[in-house]
Amino acid sequence: MPEWASAIRAALAAAGQTPDADVVEELTQHASSTYEAARADGRSHDAAVGDVHALLSSWCHDAASLRRRPRRPPIVEAPADATSPFAGIHRDAQYAIRLLKRQPGYAAVAIVTMALGIGATTSLFSVAYGVLLKPLPWPAADRIVRLTETRGGHVGRIRGTISNAAYNAWHTDHTTIEAIGGFRGVATDTAVTLSGMGEPVRMQRTVVTPSLFTVLKARPLRGRLFVNDDGIAGGNGKSNDVVILSYGLWREQFGGTDDAIDRVIQLDGRPFTIVGVMPADFVFPDRATRMWTPFAVAAVRGERGVLSLQIFGGLARLRPGISVQQAAAEGTARARGAPDAGLTIMALFGGNGPPEISASPALEAMTAEVRPAINVLLCAVALLLATATANVASLQLARASTRRREIAVRSALGASSGRIARQLLIESLLLGGAGGVVGICVAAGLNRALPSLLPTGFPRLDDIAVTAPVLAFAVVASVATSIAFGLVPAWHARRLNLVESLSEDGQAPVGGGSRSRVARTRTLIMAGQMALTCVLLVGAALLTRSFIALLHADRGYDPTNVLTARLPMPAAYLAERRTALLEALMQRIRVMPGVTHAAVGNALPFMSAGGFRAFKMRSSRNPGVQVDAQAMDRIVSSEYFAVMRLRLVAGRTLTDADVATSRPVVVVNRSFAQKYLSDRPIGETIPVGPDAHSDSEVVGIVEDMRQGEISDAPQSEIFRSYRQASMQPSSDPLFILRTSDDPVAHVATLRSLVRSEDASLALDSVMTMEERVVNSLARPRLYAVLLTTFAVFALVIAGVGLFGVLSYSVAQRSREIGVRTALGATTGDIVRLVLRQAAVATLGGVGIGLWASYAAVRAVSKLLYGVSAHDSVSFIVVPIVLACVAAIACVVPARRAARVDPLRALRAP
Amino acid sequence: MGTTLLERELKRGSAELLILALLEQRQRHGYEIGRLIAERSDGAISFHVASLYPTLYRLEDKGLIEGRWVERAGQRRRRYYRLTAAGKKVLASQRDVWQTFVVALDRVARIRHA
Repeated sequence: MPEWASAIRAALAAAGQTPDADVVEELTQHASSTYEAARADGRSHDAAVGDVHALLSSWCHDAASLRRRPRRPPIVEAPADATSPFAGIHRDAQYAIRLLKRQPGYAAVAIVTMALGIGATTSLFSVAYGVLLKPLPWPAADRIVRLTETRGGHVGRIRGTISNAAYNAWHTDHTTIEAIGGFRGVATDTAVTLSGMGEPVRMQRTVVTPSLFTVLKARPLRGRLFVNDDGIAGGNGKSNDVVILSYGLWREQFGGTDDAIDRVIQLDGRPFTIVGVMPADFVFPDRATRMWTPFAVAAVRGERGVLSLQIFGGLARLRPGISVQQAAAEGTARARGAPDAGLTIMALFGGNGPPEISASPALEAMTAEVRPAINVLLCAVALLLATATANVASLQLARASTRRREIAVRSALGASSGRIARQLLIESLLLGGAGGVVGICVAAGLNRALPSLLPTGFPRLDDIAVTAPVLAFAVVASVATSIAFGLVPAWHARRLNLVESLSEDGQAPVGGGSRSRVARTRTLIMAGQMALTCVLLVGAALLTRSFIALLHADRGYDPTNVLTARLPMPAAYLAERRTALLEALMQRIRVMPGVTHAAVGNALPFMSAGGFRAFKMRSSRNPGVQVDAQAMDRIVSSEYFAVMRLRLVAGRTLTDADVATSRPVVVVNRSFAQKYLSDRPIGETIPVGPDAHSDSEVVGIVEDMRQGEISDAPQSEIFRSYRQASMQPSSDPLFILRTSDDPVAHVATLRSLVRSEDASLALDSVMTMEERVVNSLARPRLYAVLLTTFAVFALVIAGVGLFGVLSYSVAQRSREIGVRTALGATTGDIVRLVLRQAAVATLGGVGIGLWASYAAVRAVSKLLYGVSAHDSVSFIVVPIVLACVAAIACVVPARRAARVDPLRALRAP
Repeated sequence: MGTTLLERELKRGSAELLILALLEQRQRHGYEIGRLIAERSDGAISFHVASLYPTLYRLEDKGLIEGRWVERAGQRRRRYYRLTAAGKKVLASQRDVWQTFVVALDRVARIRHA
C-alpha cells in the first residue's frame, strides 16, 4: 500500500500550509482507508490512487481550515471495553505469545525447567495418591482393619499375622466386628503350578478363609464363593478341593465361558474343582494373585489332643461406629479365652505371654513400610519444584528489567500498574501452562517406567496412574507456580521509575538505581535456590551412603560368586526318593567345571529360613532349670558352610562323615550358643535328633548370618546334616553353588543337569546370591536413586540459574565495568566484582541450606542404615559440590566481564 | 451569489447536525463519519469530504465534540470523536430548530426533507 503521509504533507505545503503532525496522521489514515475501500470494491490500484488524489486535492481546496485550535496535548485513552477487569485478556495472551516466540531460547529454558519440576512432582504425587490416599478397592474399605497378634510383646515370625487360636475364638463369637477373615499368600510362598492345560504355568494363589470374602463384601461374577465346608475339606487335603479363579485367569485359560464352572484343574498335580470366578475389579491381596483356594484354620486342640498353632494374615470388618481400639480390645479378650497352644507359641512368636490383638486400618497397615519414604520423597520433589520456580522467577525478573522501557512506555500511555502486572502474570501463566502440559507428559512417561523402577512387593503398584485427581494436582501446581514466579517481576514492575526508564540512555545509572533492587531480589532467589539444592543434596548423600553401607554390610556370609536355585519336587516323591535324587545331583554338580563348592539345604537368606523348632532343654548355665528353646532348624549338606563362607567360631562344621549311622551332630550359630549353651559349648547336647527321643551333640559354632534385612535381629539357628535329618516334604531343596567365575555362566549347565537326572523336574528361582541381596535393597536403592535424581536436577537448575543471573548482570553492568576499567580497575578487581554477587548467593544459600538440612534430616533418619543423620562426610562434601558448581557457573560471566572493552562500553548508546 | 450562500449555510448547518447525530450513539473516527454520512443519506447530502475535517475541527474548537487518540492492539491508532455534554445540548436544540424549519419549508414551498 502506498505511503500517503509524505504526499499529504507535500500537497498541503504546496497549498501554503504546514499542518500539525496529528492532522497529517489523521488525513493519512483517511487516505489509506479510502484506498483500501476502493481496492476492496474491486477497483484497480491506479483507480484507487486516483480516488485518494481527488481526496487530497479537495483537502487542499480549503487547506487553511485543516487546523486544530487550540493545540491540545495528546490525550490517549484506553479502549472503550477496558472497564471490565478481564477485558483484553485475549489480546494480552496474544501479545505474550508473540513476545515468547521472539525469545524461543528463553521460553524453552523456562518451559523445560517447569516441565522437569512439575513432571517429577506429578509423578511422585501419582505414587503418593495411588498408594497412600486412594481408598482400597473394596466397599466401605475404611472399616476393614488388619489384625496383628503379639505374645508378650513378640510379633509373629511373619509380620502382621494372627494365630489360629485368636482367629477361632473371635470367629465364632464377635460383637464389634461384622466378620473376621484369614489368608496366607503375602509373605509365605503359596505359588502353584497349573498343569493339564498345555504348558504348565506357575502362578500366585492366595489361600483364604471363606469368611474373607464376607469381610471384603465381595460377590462372584460366576458360580459361588467358598462356604465353610470348603475350608474344612481343603484343610484335610481331601480330593474335593475347590478353587475360585480371577477374571484374568478365567479369560486366558477358559476363554471366559460359563462351562469353566465345575471343571477340574490340576494344581501342583492335585485336582481342584472350579466353583467361581471373581469380577475383573476384584483384587486381593494384589493383582499378582490369579486364584484363591480355601483355607482351613485348624483347631488349636485337634483330634486326639494334638496341639497345632498357625499364623496367617487376618482382616476384620468393623461394625459401623466401632473404633479400631474397641475392636482390638474385643479381639484381645477373645484371644485370651482361647485354648493354650503350648510350646509352639515360642516357635512362631519367639516369646511367650498372653496374646494381645491390635488392629489398624487396612490401608495404613498395607502402606506403613513405604509411607515415611514417600513422604520424604514428596518433600524432596516439592523442594525441586520450588527450585525450578525460583529459577523461572529469576529469569522472568531479568526479562522484566530488560523490558523496563516497554513497560514504562505502556504506563506512560495510560496502562495502570495492575494492567502491566496482569500482562506479566499472563506471560507467566502461559509459560507455567506450557511447562505443566509438558510436565504431565513427563509424568506419564515416568509412570510408564515406574513399574520397572519400583521394587516388587511395593504395595498397590497397580493403583499408581495418572488419574483425574493427579491431573488436577498437576494443573493446580502449574497455576500456583506460575503465579509464584510471575508475582516477583509483576511486583517490581509496579515500582518502576518512569522518568528514569524512559530517559534517553535507557540503561540503569551506574552502580545504583533500580538495577540494584532487582539484583538484590535475584541474589535472594539465588540464595534460596542454593539452600533448597543443599537440602536435597544432603538428603541424597545420606541415602546414598546408607545404601552403600547396606550393600557392604556384614551379613555373616559372602554373597559374591554364589548361584542359588530352588528345586520344587512333587509331594508324591517320598523321603528316600528325594534323598537319592539329591545325592545323585550333588555328585554331578560338584564336578561341574568352575564350581568350587556346592551344597544343598532347606534354608538360604531371603528364600527360606528353615523349619521352626521349639523344644525344652536343660539350661547349661543353671542345670536345675528347664528352658524353652527355639531355633531355626537348617538341614544342609556339609559344604554349605564353605559355599556361604560362614565363619567358624569354635569346633568344626559338618562333614561327609556325619551320616545316618554315625552319632547325630549339630552346628549352632553364635546367637543360639549365647542364649542356651554354656561357656564351653562344644560337646554339649541338645534334645533335637533324627527322632523325638534322640539328642545331638554340638560340634561347632558359626557366626550369625542375617536371614533377611540387615536390621533384623539375628535369630537362633541350628544346622544339621541332611544325611542325619530329613527335610520336611513341604520345603523344596535349595542348591547353592560357589563358582570361580561368573556364576550366571553356569545356569544352563545346572538346568540341563537337573533335566537329565529327572525330566519332570525344573529349577525355579535361579538367581545369584548378590542379586538376592541387591533385590532386598530395592527400596533403599530406589529412594537413594530418586532423591539423587531430584538433587541433581536441582543442582543443574541452580547452576544454570546462577549462570543466568551473573551473565545478565555482567551485560547490564558493562557500562559500570567500562567506567571502572577506565578509572584503573584491574581485571582482578572486575572479576571480584562479578564473583561477589555469586559468593553472596552461594555462601548465604549454602549456610541456610546446611542449617535447614541439619534440622530436616530427622525426617530421613528412619530410612538410614549405618550412617548418622548428621553424617559429617555428607555435610562437608555437599557444600564443596555446591561451591564447585557455583564456580563453574561463574567462569564464563567472569571472563566476559574481564573482557569488557571500556571504550566500546562507554560509547554504546 | 445569494443562493450559494444560503446553500452553504444550509449545508454547513446540516453537516454539523449530521456529525453530532452520528456521534450521539458512540464515538467514531473521521473516515467512519464520512462513510456513514455518504451511506445514510444515499449520497443526496454528499457534502464534500473536503469539509469533513474542517467541520470536525471547528466542532471540536467549539467544545461540542472531543477528539482522542485510541490505541488498539494490532491496529494503527485512530482519532476518535465523541460528543461532549455541550455537544449533546446543542444537538437537542438544533434538532428542534431544524425540525421546525423543515416543517415550515414544507408548508410554504412544498419541498420535502430529503
